[in-house]
Amino acid sequence: MDSVNWGLIMPLLILQALLAIIGLISLAKVEHTRGPKWLWLIILIFGNLLGSIVYFTVGRKDI
Amino acid sequence: MPLLQVTNLRKSYGKHTSVDGISFEIEQGRCVALLGPNGAGKTTTLRMLAGLLQPTSGAISFDGSHPGMDYRRALGYLPQAPAFYGWMSGMEYVTFAAKLSGSGSKEAASMAATAIERVGLTQDARRRIGGYSGGMKQRLGLAQALVHRPRLLLLDEPVSALDPLGRREVMELLRDIREETTVLFSTHVLHDAEEICDDIILMNRGLIAEQGALSQLRSKYSLPVIRMRTEKNDGALKWLETLASKPFIVEARLSGDGAVFNVSDVEVARRSILQEAASLDIPLLQFEAGSSTLEDLFMKVVGA
Amino acid sequence: MKSVWVFYQKEMLELLRSYKLLWIPVVFIILGIMQPLTTYYMPEILKASGNVPPGLLEGYVIPGAATVMAQALGQYGSMGMLVLALATMNSLSGERYSGTVEMVLVRPLTPATLVIAKWAALLTLLMIALGLGAIAAGYYIEQLIGSLSWSTVLAAASIYGLWLLCAVSMTLLFSAFLRAPVAAFLGLLLTAGLALAHSLLPSWLDWTPAALPDLSAQVLLQAGSVSLVGPCLSAGILILICMGGASLLIRRNILPN
Repeated sequence: MDSVNWGLIMPLLILQALLAIIGLISLAKVEHTRGPKWLWLIILIFGNLLGSIVYFTVGRKDI
Repeated sequence: MPLLQVTNLRKSYGKHTSVDGISFEIEQGRCVALLGPNGAGKTTTLRMLAGLLQPTSGAISFDGSHPGMDYRRALGYLPQAPAFYGWMSGMEYVTFAAKLSGSGSKEAASMAATAIERVGLTQDARRRIGGYSGGMKQRLGLAQALVHRPRLLLLDEPVSALDPLGRREVMELLRDIREETTVLFSTHVLHDAEEICDDIILMNRGLIAEQGALSQLRSKYSLPVIRMRTEKNDGALKWLETLASKPFIVEARLSGDGAVFNVSDVEVARRSILQEAASLDIPLLQFEAGSSTLEDLFMKVVGA
Repeated sequence: MKSVWVFYQKEMLELLRSYKLLWIPVVFIILGIMQPLTTYYMPEILKASGNVPPGLLEGYVIPGAATVMAQALGQYGSMGMLVLALATMNSLSGERYSGTVEMVLVRPLTPATLVIAKWAALLTLLMIALGLGAIAAGYYIEQLIGSLSWSTVLAAASIYGLWLLCAVSMTLLFSAFLRAPVAAFLGLLLTAGLALAHSLLPSWLDWTPAALPDLSAQVLLQAGSVSLVGPCLSAGILILICMGGASLLIRRNILPN
């Protein structure tokens, strides 16, 4: 337990980034969001896992 | 044998009766308009025919089959405000509709392409429905109703929500479609019905007020009639009222400064009304002797 | 049967185009990875956060592999279930409020066809998400903590999945006649109520689906013989009732008013 194994932590960070990227792609394509788009942009970029989940569940009006 | 036979169809919600025992038949290959003002029970009738609503009582028999038999495979239906999956493309939706009506994948794809072309959406077939205009959605609605080549097409107010251009397009399509299949469509505009239909079923307050072939109804209601309008003064208006009791007048309808008289003999009526008007010095604005139209019938039924 | 397949394909395409088939599995994988990582690196995490009372870290023992796996599956009971309920809530209610269901049900298929197809699609989503999540968690546990019996992991994940499927089915039922947010709320409330009742009266309610999470953990820890018949049977019946109820209710709620 001396050194942190970054090889195991990297995938976690990559997956979180992937989630945010999927969110950003969908945000670019979607016509209507609940609330302003720029707010969701900030939430997706800085909101980590929870931000992405909130965006996907309540942010998108039409699918 | 008629394609569709409806006997004593009723639908009531608690105390309110929406359709109050109507009976009619539709012959194969006819185009029938279900005409009536808003709230006459047209949509309820169509929904019962489409199997979306259970009738309170009455029977619907399709192509001589036992009432209650499922004939939805032979049915095409377009509701008043068709709703689609916005994330699908037009082509995907029509293919999906064909598959749900029982076609295999390949067959469905070619049928969908035909139907899409038919309604002139080939250019936009690969676009998301979410981006379609109202007129395009209505045409897509027709495509999905037609795709499985139904024997009976039920259309609920297919043109009423459209702008004049979209309306024109859809009417032209209907004129085409009616050559191939039996069509029953509802409308509150007499003109739409007269434009493409063979038969009319005129509904008001849940009842059929009149039905029959358009040509028959035209001659039946082509009664001699005199329409006139005077200046708005008391003498003239009183005179119009007294005219109503003349022996040659069958029925009188007065409205403000004008009157419509159904007369027994147009010659006699014209002579005596004009003579009287001249001798009493009535300020006539308009005088017309002719025959009544379906418009008059429609107004009479709706206004009653 | 054929129309169930046609409708199922449409549902899967919808799950894909709405990104649900992507983001929900990714969330499940993240949740699955996070549990072993935080357990393993707990001392580092605590150190990094500063002011740790001395002596606390000496006593820290990393739990066994099976225990961590049970904890990872337990994650799905809260966060995972919330995500699944939110993904389910629109399933039937969206079709009713938009009017698309009217266009579908004039075609020769029954409301039950629709409900079965939607349920099957949600089951597929659940299996993909939970399956990938459990595999990811298992892989991390093997890397960091110790070896696992994969057949046991499969059994435990399936039992946990059945519990999640109960929650999804109840949300689907409410979605047949209520607005989407209300459906999700009631589905989660009922699930939480069942779980609470079971935790208060475990011996009385050990035949209910609410016993499934505990059983899943017991299977992993191989704590004696586990009787699965009652909970699995009652879960199956609950799911059938939900689907039957949804079919009946959707028939009455086809038409927009």
